[in-house]
Parts: sequence; C-alpha cells; structure tokens
Amino acid sequence: MQRYLATRLLALIPVLLGILTVVFVLIRLIPGDAVQLFLGTQVELTPEQMTELRRFFGVDKPMHAQYVDYLSRIVRGDLGVSLRTSRLVLDDILQRLPLSFQLATLALLVAMVIAVPLGIASAVTRNSAFDIFARIGGLLGLSMPSFWLGAMLILVFSRYLHISIGQYVPLTQNPLGTLQSLYLPSLALGAAIAAILMRYVRSSLLEVLGQDYIRTARGKGLRAAAVMLRHALPNAMIPVITVLGFQMGYLLGGTVVIEEIFALPGMGRLVLQAIFQRDYPVVQGVVLVIALLFVVTNLVVDLLYAWIDPRIRYA
Amino acid sequence: MRVRWWMWLVVMALVLPVLPVRAGPAGTTFTIGVDQEVVGLDPHLVTAFSSFRRIDFLYNKLVRYNDRLTIEPDLAESWEFPDPRTAVFRLRRGVKFHSGAEMTSDDVKFTLERVLDPATRSVGRSFIDVITSIETPDRYTVRVKMQFPLASLLSGLASANLSIVEKAAVQRSGNLQRTVAGTGPFMLAEWVPDNFMRLVKNPNYFRQGLPKFDTLIIRIIPDAASLLAGVRTRGLDMATINQGAVITQARRESGIVVMQKAGLQLRILAFNTTRPPYTDARVRYAFSFAIDRNAIVSTAEFGYATVSGPLAPSTQWATPTARFPSYTQNVARAKQMLSEAGYPNGFSTRIITSPTYEGGIAVAQVIQEQLRAIGVNATLETIEWGTYINRWVARDFDTMIELRGGDPDPDRFLYRSFHGTGAVNNFLFKDGGIDRLLERGRVNLETDARRPIYDELQRALIEAAPALFLYTPMETQVLQGYVRGFKIIGNGALYFLEEASVER
Amino acid sequence: MPGSTRASVTLEASAAAAAPRPRAGWRWWGRRFVRNRVAPIGLVIIVASLATALLAPRLVPYDVRAMAPQASLAPPGGQHLFGTDEFGRDVFSRVLVGSRVSLVVAFFSVATAVGLGTTVGLTAGYYGGWWDGVSMRGMDIIFAFPAILLAIAIMAVLGTSLLNLVIAIGIVYTPQFARVARAAALTVRSLEFVDAARALGLGNARIIGRHLIPNILAPVTVQVSLSLSLAILSESALSFLGLGTQPPTPSWGNMLSEGRQFLELAPWNAVFPGLAIMLVVLGFNLLGDGLRDLLDPRLR
Repeated sequence: MQRYLATRLLALIPVLLGILTVVFVLIRLIPGDAVQLFLGTQVELTPEQMTELRRFFGVDKPMHAQYVDYLSRIVRGDLGVSLRTSRLVLDDILQRLPLSFQLATLALLVAMVIAVPLGIASAVTRNSAFDIFARIGGLLGLSMPSFWLGAMLILVFSRYLHISIGQYVPLTQNPLGTLQSLYLPSLALGAAIAAILMRYVRSSLLEVLGQDYIRTARGKGLRAAAVMLRHALPNAMIPVITVLGFQMGYLLGGTVVIEEIFALPGMGRLVLQAIFQRDYPVVQGVVLVIALLFVVTNLVVDLLYAWIDPRIRYA
Repeated sequence: MRVRWWMWLVVMALVLPVLPVRAGPAGTTFTIGVDQEVVGLDPHLVTAFSSFRRIDFLYNKLVRYNDRLTIEPDLAESWEFPDPRTAVFRLRRGVKFHSGAEMTSDDVKFTLERVLDPATRSVGRSFIDVITSIETPDRYTVRVKMQFPLASLLSGLASANLSIVEKAAVQRSGNLQRTVAGTGPFMLAEWVPDNFMRLVKNPNYFRQGLPKFDTLIIRIIPDAASLLAGVRTRGLDMATINQGAVITQARRESGIVVMQKAGLQLRILAFNTTRPPYTDARVRYAFSFAIDRNAIVSTAEFGYATVSGPLAPSTQWATPTARFPSYTQNVARAKQMLSEAGYPNGFSTRIITSPTYEGGIAVAQVIQEQLRAIGVNATLETIEWGTYINRWVARDFDTMIELRGGDPDPDRFLYRSFHGTGAVNNFLFKDGGIDRLLERGRVNLETDARRPIYDELQRALIEAAPALFLYTPMETQVLQGYVRGFKIIGNGALYFLEEASVER
Repeated sequence: MPGSTRASVTLEASAAAAAPRPRAGWRWWGRRFVRNRVAPIGLVIIVASLATALLAPRLVPYDVRAMAPQASLAPPGGQHLFGTDEFGRDVFSRVLVGSRVSLVVAFFSVATAVGLGTTVGLTAGYYGGWWDGVSMRGMDIIFAFPAILLAIAIMAVLGTSLLNLVIAIGIVYTPQFARVARAAALTVRSLEFVDAARALGLGNARIIGRHLIPNILAPVTVQVSLSLSLAILSESALSFLGLGTQPPTPSWGNMLSEGRQFLELAPWNAVFPGLAIMLVVLGFNLLGDGLRDLLDPRLR
C-alpha cells in the first residue's frame, strides 16, 4: 500500500510541473498587454512611464527569466502578487476557495440525493415505463446548459416566489446564510451532475445485481431492501465515487457562468477575469491550485478504491 | 404514515430559502447593486466609470456638478477669477477628514501637486496641466496661476480624479488604493472584493444632517437580470442597469421605479483616418448620411438614448442635431459621395467590437446591416475586452465601436479627442482648422464668446468626420418606491445618495 | 460545461473493449439495434438534424441577417414561427442555420479529438516504453485543467474563428480518447495471437491495423456519441463568454447567450435554441446509450 501511495505521489510532480509550464506559456501567448489593460482606454502615458510601469509589474524581463523566477518562488510557497490589485495571489485564492469548495460539495450532495434513489429505482424496474422516463429525464438534465437552468431559477424565485438570492456569507460567520446563498446555484449545478450520476448508478447497479453473490444473498433469504443496502449498493457505488471525483475539477474552476449569474465571488470568476486582464500571477496561481486539488481528490478516490479492492493495489 | 428521517430533510430543503438570516447592522441600511468591482480606491489613479462611482461616496472635490449640470460648491465655498490666468478658491471651514483632521489649503495644494506630478501617472493631469503655480496665502485660500486661461478648469476640478485627499494620510500610507483619506459622506468599513463593500456614515460630514442612513452596502452583481431580481425582491434598494432589455422589463413592473436621464457618454464609430479608404473625408462623411441613427437607438438601446452630435444633447452647448444635414438619412447621397471618392461599388471593411456594454456589439450589427445599402460590406471582428483595449491603444483598427466619456463642458472632451495632440485622439486625426478652433474655445472664459466657436466646431467635426457620432445613452437607475430624495445627475455619479432616505 | 463524462465513461468503455468481439452479420446487429428501443430514436433525431443542417439555406423563410426594427421582439406566431429577436430577425430561420455551426463544431472537434487521441493512445499502449510515460503524462496535464478554462485560454491565444473553436474543443476532449485507445491497446497487446503474428513476421503496422483498431471501435464509438453532445454544450458556453461563434452568424450557442437578457421580455429568443440543443444532445446520448448496450458483452 505504501509503495502504491508513493508511486502515485511521485507521479503527481511532473504533472503539476507540466500544468504550470503550460499555463505559464499559454497565458503569455494571448495577445495583450497586462499594463495597458490596467490603464484602460482613456489614459495615455509617455513611453518612459510605460517602461517604468512594466518594470514595476515585473513583465519587462524575457520569458524564460520570468519562468525561472516564478518556479523558484513557487517552491517557497510564494504565489506572487496580482498585477491588477496588488494583493497577494494566495490571499485572493484562500478567500475564494471556501466558496468554490462549499458550492462544489453542495452541488455533489444535491446530485447524489437526486441521482441515487432515481438510479436505484431505474435499475430495479429495468426497461419499464418509469425507467425509460427517468432515463430520458436524466438525458434532458444532461443536455440543458446549467447556466440556462440557473437563469430560469432566478427568474422563478424572484418573480413568482418573491424570494431573494442573498449575498454570500462565509461559513464561519453564518452557516444558514451560506446555505441560503448557495441554495439555487447548487441546484442548478447539481441537476446536470445528477443526470450523469443517475446513469452510472443505474448501469453499475445493473451490473452488480447480475452477479452471483447477489443471487446467493437472495437465496439466503435476505429481504430485497437488505440485499440492496448491504451488498449491491456499496459495490455499485465504487465507480460512482470515481465519477464524483472527476467532477471536482469542473466544479472548482469551470462554474464561471453560474458564479456570474448568482453573483458568487468564486474561483471561476477570479480566473476568468484574470485571463481577460492578462493578470498572469493570478491565472497561474489559480490553475495550479485547482489542478492540485483535482489530482489530490482523484488520488484519494483511487486510494479508496485500492484499499477496498486489493487486486488493484498489486497490479 | 410514519414520519421518516428523510422527510425532515425534504422539508428543511424546501423551507431553507425563506428562513430569515441573522439581522443586519443596527440602524438604517441602504443596499445598492453594481455590476463591476473596482480595482483600487485611489481617486487620482482610477480610470473606470465604476471606480468613479465608488470614489464619490468617500471623497469630495473642490466643486461638483448638480442635477441641472451646473457647477456648484463642494469643498470650495466660493471662487473668483481676479484675472483670466488666476483662480482663487475659498475653502469651507471646519471640514474634517475621516481621520478627524481638518481640511486646509495645504491638503488642496498637496492634492493638486500630486495629480500634476508625472510620477503619479494620474489621468487627471491633463485636466489641469495648465497650472503653473499653487499658493496658499492662508489656511482656507488657494490661489492657482495658469499658463493660459482655461475655460474647462472648473469642469476638470469637478472630476472624481481631482478629489481632495489628506496630505498627512498619503504621506503615512503612500498609496491610497486600499486606504481612504477623504472627507466624503461615507467611510470605508469593510471590503470583500467581488462580493460587497460596506460603508458607514461619516458623523463629521460637513453637510449637516447628511447622509440620512447609517450604512451603505454596495453589492457586486455582474448580471443585469440578477440586479433586477435583487431590486424586485428588495434584496437591493437600488441598482444601476444599462441593458435595455432589462430596463424595459423593469418599467413594466409595478412597485419598481425606473429613473432615467439624458446622459453624457457618447457612442461613436471611430475611424482610423490613416487607413484607406478612411483617409478620404468624403468616405467618412458618407457614412453619416448612410445610416439611420434612430433605428440604431431603438434596436440597440431599446430607445433609451438620444441621437447626438459631438456634444451631448443634455448640455447647453449642443447644436440640435436636426440642423446637421447628414443626420437625415440619405442613402442616395451617401452612394454618390462614395462614387466621387472612387468607390462606386462600395468596399469591404472591418468593424471591431466587443461583447461588453462599452464594446457595443448590438450597435455594430445594426450598422453593419445599414452599410450594406451603400455597398459597404463590413465584417465584424468581435474580440474580448482585453484584446479590444490592446487594439485601441495600438491604433490597430479600421473602424471601431466605442463609448466615450463626455462632460458638460465641451473643451475637456473635444480637446483630448480631436486635437492633433489630444491624449485620446486615436483616430490619428489632424486638422489645423479644427485645432485652432479648439485652442480658441478653451482659453475664452465667456460663454457668449465661446458659443459660436463650439457651434462651428460641431459642424466642422461632423463634416471632417474623424468618427461617426451616434447617440448618448441615458443613465438609468432602478429603485424601489420607498427610496426618496435621490437625484439623478446624468453622468452616472451617485453622490446625491447622501440626500436619499428609505421609508419602508 | 459539465466535466461529466470526460473520463468517467472511459471506465465502462474500456471494460467493453476487454472482451473480444464475436463475428456476426449485419442483420444480427440490425435486429438488436432496433430491439433496443432508445437507440433508433437517437438515430432518427441525428439524421433529421443533419438533413436540416444540410438543407438549411433552402428551408429558411427569411434571410438570417435581415433586420426589421419595427418587428423587434415579436412573439411566435403569424409571420414568424419562433418569433423575432431584438433586431427583428426571424428566430426560426436562425435556429435552422444555427444548426450548421453547432453540428460542424460538434463533428469536427470530436473528429480532431478522436484523431489525436486514438493515435496517441494506441501507440502509447502498443509500443509502451518512454513514449507511453510521456504521452500519458501529457494527457494527464490536459485533463487536469478545468475544461472551460483550457478552451478559453486556447481561444484567447488563437483568436475567435470557427477553426480555432474546433481546435480548442478538440484538444480539451483528446485525453479521454487517448485513455480509451490505450486501455484497449494494452488488452489486445497481451493476447497471444499478437505474439504469434509477430513471430510470423507481421509488421507492427499490420498488427495495429488488423487487430487493434477493430477492437477499439466499440469503446471509441460510445465515447464519440457522448463527446458530440458535450462539444455542442461547450460551444454554447464559450459563446456565452463571447468566445464562440461571432455575430451576426447564428449558432445555437450565441443565440442562447444573446437571448438570455430577454428571458423575461421575450423568452422565445433563448427557449428555441435551447430546445434545439437539448434535442440534438438527447439524440446523441440515446444513440450512445444504445450502442453501449449493444456492444457491452456483459449485458448481452
């Protein structure tokens, strides 16, 4: 087990380094000048002032020098300073990470709550009208852009139910407020994920239910519910958990549009604005953190998998 | 039916949105929604419209515009011009900064010098760079000497970029991006970037009895439809909205008040006058005849704009656009002009635009369609805002949709935009006659003497057409009926919130 | 856009590849296809969409660019089946023409992903060695990026043209095809008949062509139909951020984003392109589901 863990951890490093390099190069390839963007259209500076501003921002050195500089600082935990706001990148990220994380967790929770019962019912009543209905419903949920659903939810809640979307409150301040402000967005996000999850619960369960040990359990006289809860479901959930892990990456950085619609100051908006403003340190920092979280989450899932299934450990 | 554990969860999930959250701060609170966050709070450095709005709450200037677009006293109680090149300002007494220290002429001198200092890189510099010396004969008097008379001096001093800052505070902190050193009606209490900013009432504000509420909360909500949803549900008391579709929806709802006023910003189609075929003024002028400005206003802005020449119609200087021949659509004449310039069959061109409001993508589409009638085949180049700015600065465009900031005084806007040496003249336009008119217009302090000059300028600019002047969007504020006392100015500034109150 | 099935499907797809496929005739497959109730519905939808896209220019009642300010935001009915947008342009015509962009983007970006991904994956699985390590790390790197950010960054670098849209989305979805192909290649490589073939002196190319490719057909096909639906949703998300298809060219994606501001005033602007997207994505998914049920040896 230790060896497995060690090899996996070691394999992380080149991946993270690679991500960092790709981001570094990619964002500098985007045409546009971070300094000029900072100033906007209505301002003119003399060439001398521009050079000075460039030096102040640290973008005057050649790319490879900047790269080496950046790597050496990353190793020390220094993610740099935002070109636009002069705040520490790490501070910005730490401020927004909790929201993204909470939203991600809630969305996954919503997805599970919808998907698991529906998936079970669908598998158990295979090819019945309910099953087909549920599958098509699931596919519709999958096909609908989540920002569309988000906009509709806001419309319905504000116009017909007269319930306002509160502003985001950190968990430490007021948990109820946090839950309230994340209510609609997690519904919008969770619905799409629920659709995907339901398919996996269904197919995984179908597969498990066809196994011999299930027949044995039934043969032993266990009630259907007990068979389901004690044998079928736990085994069926393993690949489902893997899927959940994969969703993390999307949920942490890819929810830009939902964040815009619901006015949530999350990491998606942070990095999107940073890309549009050529705020290099912020983009690099955020992508690194998201990628790190993503690979760590999946590593945890894989470890769980390996712990449960000894065959994988020794592969 | 036995009550299962999961039923509780379902009930809770359904009830959650309506549960009351812990009550807000004691006293009256006013919440407004805006769609853009500010980068920093240093009044001398900020450039975005949204940043100016924030500065207005925290700082005061020597003078300011009132809702009739005339200059009124702010920190300066009175002023006079002993000779055309000298201005003397008498400051109010007993005005306190947020730190408690009194505002004196020293602070004003410091402010002006800071803005004039090239090292500060202040945008406001070009508004007052005619100033050669600043004297402070006593604690409440400031005497300013100028290189030549400048009619737009007061207008420049009314800009948020010329807000008066506390000398001691700047010397302490160096940078005002995060700290406030002002005299304004509100003080900064809390700032969570991209979420909200909480301001509290300044107990020592020099206008007695103002502001009328204790806390001002500014929430960042990027989406216009969500802003309306906020006002509708009273999560917000007021919001600034510029999307026509959402404004139309707001107007249809009872209980929501929509305040609109003619604005000062100018929507234009900029020409790069160094690139053919735009090197020929006839081609540029032909565009003015070819398009239908009213159609643009009704489709792109839902009618919430006024057709405009180079000066905003709400100012006293603007010539009524009906007097300009090219403001009556005349496709035949346009085609004839193109023919004379050597393009009888039209030509192909590119229009740069961006999905943001300033980038005017809807406007671009309408113009593109209208130009087809004269044989001009325009391709839209839609780029994201960062690239847009880049191309603007590099003057790398054929034509471009822009939204320019205007001003009640004609000189500030026209000079920087159209003078050969103008700071934001990215049309690369140079016309000696127009330059001379601009120079004459700015040094003359008498309105009656200036008026004919600017009448002539407007006519000349429309014919020389460095840009196609389109319209001035209205300023729109959407609020709940219980908000009383707010006055809309037209330049988007919100400092009259200090007189507003909520009566729920 | 959902990071959903980016890699998650590859689990099952790889499993499907594990068992060798028995030889069977077209009629047998055909009958099984029809008996699986959902797959044929999917096929019908796809064929109908393709036909519409091809014939769109001839089917449209109005020029998609013709503006009619006086008919701005007209509700569906009367002259305009789906109503008009803020410029007075006919929504029905734009939805029809928009299908071309959406389907082109979907098919070509997935084709790119398949081409790149399977090449990389097959060679990595078959030849192994350093190439396997390097290329799979490369795929991991692409995969660890939040999909939408990667697409945005690529589009920002390359610019907003249809070609670049295809490239960006194609790159984003390459890793899963690589994984699927590699898994299949690994399984087949270990089979005895490959050793036998090599002993006989058959070149690698022939082995790959004769034995590997037929075996990855099943999982790749399943993955393709799912990626097609994701590609359409990606185009819509990118258009929302201003990076997709540029106006005035209609695409379902940019109609959705432009229409969102009219959700209360004139909902038909966003509803109809949204329905179109949902219908086509549904079709792709039904087909994919059906194919998987068909090809999965364990469910037979």
